[in-house]
Formats: sequence, C-alpha cells, structure tokens
Amino acid sequence: MADTTNQLRVRLVTPERILADLMADAVELPAKSGYLEVLYGHAPLLAELGAGDVTLHGGVAGEQRFNVAWGFVEVLPERVTILADSALKPEEIDTALAQQKLEQGHKLWNEAGDDPAKYEHANDVIDKAEARLASAARKA
Amino acid sequence: MANVLDLRRRIRSVKNTRQITKAMKMVSAARLRRAQERAISGRPYAQMLVSILESLRHRAEVYDPASGECRHPLLQTRPEKNVLLVIITGDKGFAGAFNANIVKAAFQFLDQHKESGIDIEAIGRKGRDLVRRRYPIVSYLEADAEEHDTPSSSPIRNRTAPIEVIGDHPGMLQELLFDRVDDLGRSISERYIHEEIDAAYVVYNEFKSVLAQRVVVEKILPIIEIGKPQIAASVEMELEERERLGEAALSAGVSPLQPDMAELDEEAKKFGTSEVDYIYEDPPEELFRRLLPRYVTTLLFHAMLESVAGEHAARMTAMDSATNNASDMIDSYTLIMNRVRQAKITNEIIEIVSGAAAL
Repeated sequence: MADTTNQLRVRLVTPERILADLMADAVELPAKSGYLEVLYGHAPLLAELGAGDVTLHGGVAGEQRFNVAWGFVEVLPERVTILADSALKPEEIDTALAQQKLEQGHKLWNEAGDDPAKYEHANDVIDKAEARLASAARKA
Repeated sequence: MANVLDLRRRIRSVKNTRQITKAMKMVSAARLRRAQERAISGRPYAQMLVSILESLRHRAEVYDPASGECRHPLLQTRPEKNVLLVIITGDKGFAGAFNANIVKAAFQFLDQHKESGIDIEAIGRKGRDLVRRRYPIVSYLEADAEEHDTPSSSPIRNRTAPIEVIGDHPGMLQELLFDRVDDLGRSISERYIHEEIDAAYVVYNEFKSVLAQRVVVEKILPIIEIGKPQIAASVEMELEERERLGEAALSAGVSPLQPDMAELDEEAKKFGTSEVDYIYEDPPEELFRRLLPRYVTTLLFHAMLESVAGEHAARMTAMDSATNNASDMIDSYTLIMNRVRQAKITNEIIEIVSGAAAL
C-alpha cells in the first residue's frame, strides 16, 4: 500500500474528550467475547467492547495502556476508532473507588432476583470494577 | 441634603460591591470558557454515536420488513398519557433571568399538557426548589420515597396528583460526570420500556455559542429520527439581551462566536459508515439495542453541558451589568458629593462676607 509505515491511526474517544489520537503498530482490544489484536490492514470490523485494557503497541511513546469500560470499536484497514464510556490511564485509577463499586456490584447482584435486566446490569458493574482493579494492579 | 461624610461612606460601599461583582464576572467568564471547551470536546463522541446508530439502523432491520413495525421499544411511539419532564436549571442564583426563563418554559409546558400525568425530574438546585414548592413529591405504596431510584424493588406507584416530582439530583451539575448522567439516562430509558412513561422531554438552556442561546423543550423519547433534535418549543433570546451578552463577553475576553468545528464533525460523521461490509462481532441488532440507551444519555449529557455553559454566560452578563450599574452609581454620588461640598463652601463664604459687611 501507499503507506509504507504500516501503522494504524488509533483514536480513543470518550463522551468528555478525545483522549488519544496517535499512530501505533498494533492495538489490543477487550472485545466483549474476548481480547482481539488489530494490525495494519485488518478487515473492517464493528464490535462492542467489554471492560478491560486497550493496549497500543509500537507507538511513538512506546506501549500505552488505557482502561476502558464498555464501548464500541470500529476497525478499518488503516484506522481504529474506539468509543468508550470512560477511559483511564492505569495511574489515574482510583482503587478505593473501584473497590467500592465492586462491592456495590455484588450487592446489586444479590438483589437482582429473577430480573434478567438487573442481573445484566449488576454483572456490568462487577466486570467494570474488576477490570479497573486488575489494570491498576498490573501497573504496580 | 445629605452631608459629605455620608456620601463618601456610601461611595465606598458601592465601590466594594463593584469589586465583588467584577470578580464574579471574571470567575464566570473563566468558568464559561471551560464549560464551552467541555461542551465542544464532547461533540465528536456524540456525533460518532449518531453516525454509527444511523448506519446500524439500516443494517439491523429495526423496522420489520414485512409489517413495518418497529422492533426497538425506544423507537415506538405511544399516545402521551404519562410524560416525564426533565428540568435543567442552575445550582445558584445571581445569573439574571437564567433560571426564571427555564422555569417559565417548564410551567408553560405543564400548562399545555394538563390532560396527561407528568413526572418531573429536577436537575439543578434552583429549579428543584421551585418545583418542590409547587408540586407534591411522588409517593409509593410500600417503599419510602428515598428508595425510588434503586430499581431493585419495584414499588407500586401511588399517584395522588397529576403532576408529581419524581426525583432530583443535587450536585449533578457541580461535577458533571458521564457516569452519573448515564445512570439517569438508563433509568429514563427503562421507565420508557416498562411503559411507565410514554414520552420524555427536557427543558434546558441550549447553548451553541454565547450569542446563540435559547430555552428549549426537547423531546428525547421516543426517538423519531436519530441525530435530529426534536424541539417541541423554544424561546429565543431578545435582541437587547443578545447585545448585552455580546458586550459582556467582549469585555471579559470570551469569544462570543462558535469555534469552527466543521472539520472534526466531518471526521466524526464518517465513523462506522464506510461503504464496506463490516464484520460484526455481535449481531447488528444487538449492537443497536445496546447503543440506543447510550444515545439518550448523550442527549441528556449535552443538554447539561450546554446548560452549565449558559448559566455561566448568564451570570457573567448579570455581573457585567451590575458592575456597570455600580460605576454609574458611583459617578452620580460623586457628582452629588461635589455639589454638596461646593454648596457648603459657598455657604461659608457668604457667611464670612455678610459677617464682614455687617461690621
């Protein structure tokens, strides 16, 4: 292809701002059904993201990690755009808050009863908190 | 006539007031600038969400091809028997007619929808206080009122009045976090899906730029067309008000015009709409279902961001006027004071002269 660098343009967009807009060799994404890695020239793809870490490999600034919670990604051959509800750098994570959220999630889960929607919501909260904690722990 | 000392004291006090209003104006101007930036930096996300939903809508066959029926509950329209009204005002006063205008628009809306049951969600302290004084707070048969926001138990609603206050969110505007707005947005979507409400409206101060503001009533549910705001009613600013805003913005060093966003918007519009066949990790229907409530949240979030910016702009203008008025007052008092002083001197000279003449 015309672009000899074989790099992807990765953009991470949250409701509040465009958090990152940079070039990288590869991106790891926490899709809902498991992690996937995207390289230059990937086939177009739309996927929902679960809670987890987005990792950029081989960027100018080296490896970069962002913790995201529930989002949406569009992959095009030379571009990856991530819409995330929230995205944090590992050092920005408030572990106490995440712990608190985790407990709240467990509480919701216990109270969910037979309602599948509540159950789903509780699981969402738990996953999000666990991913945050894991991401913070990996940095330490 | 007042004596010189009195006048001097009064001038000093007005000067102090002017200092305060001036400081408040500068603070509001700084906050306005920040709020404006936030509103703008949130735009790409909203735009991308709109384009992806738009493109999914075609692929996901939201409308049943055979019967033309709508498959997603948030898109279905029903006769408006129960309506939710979200009122977004400011938390604080000293902002001119900002809060009053919004509340006025809200009451107008309530007047027009007398025949339906209305629930009110108040965001912002000023509006909440006013609304709570007028209408009863919602009551439930078994659970107490504080628990209504936890959807874990579904208490039976005990409607006593046609208009009731269903919830308020103190402090939501102070630190505007997407997470919190998301909770509210989700709960509104859920209420719509469970047919507790048949439509949802938001009253807020729309803020496109300092000079392009208006109070609008926007319908957020059901969604008729994605990406097109459904304005049910709007009150434009008066020309005079606009001029004042422009002057205040100029003197505080805030650009009154909207920054150019065309390029970013163009880019965002392309999101998810390429002319290629995407691989879908999840079925498009599923994606659409999960994304739609988020769209409702984004609408609310932006309404709040704009409202906050509008509040600061209104306060800045009000404080600019107050500063000008204080200056005028100081001028007129100084004039009076000088006159009184001169009169006194003239008097004294007359006394001396007539005293000398009498000798």
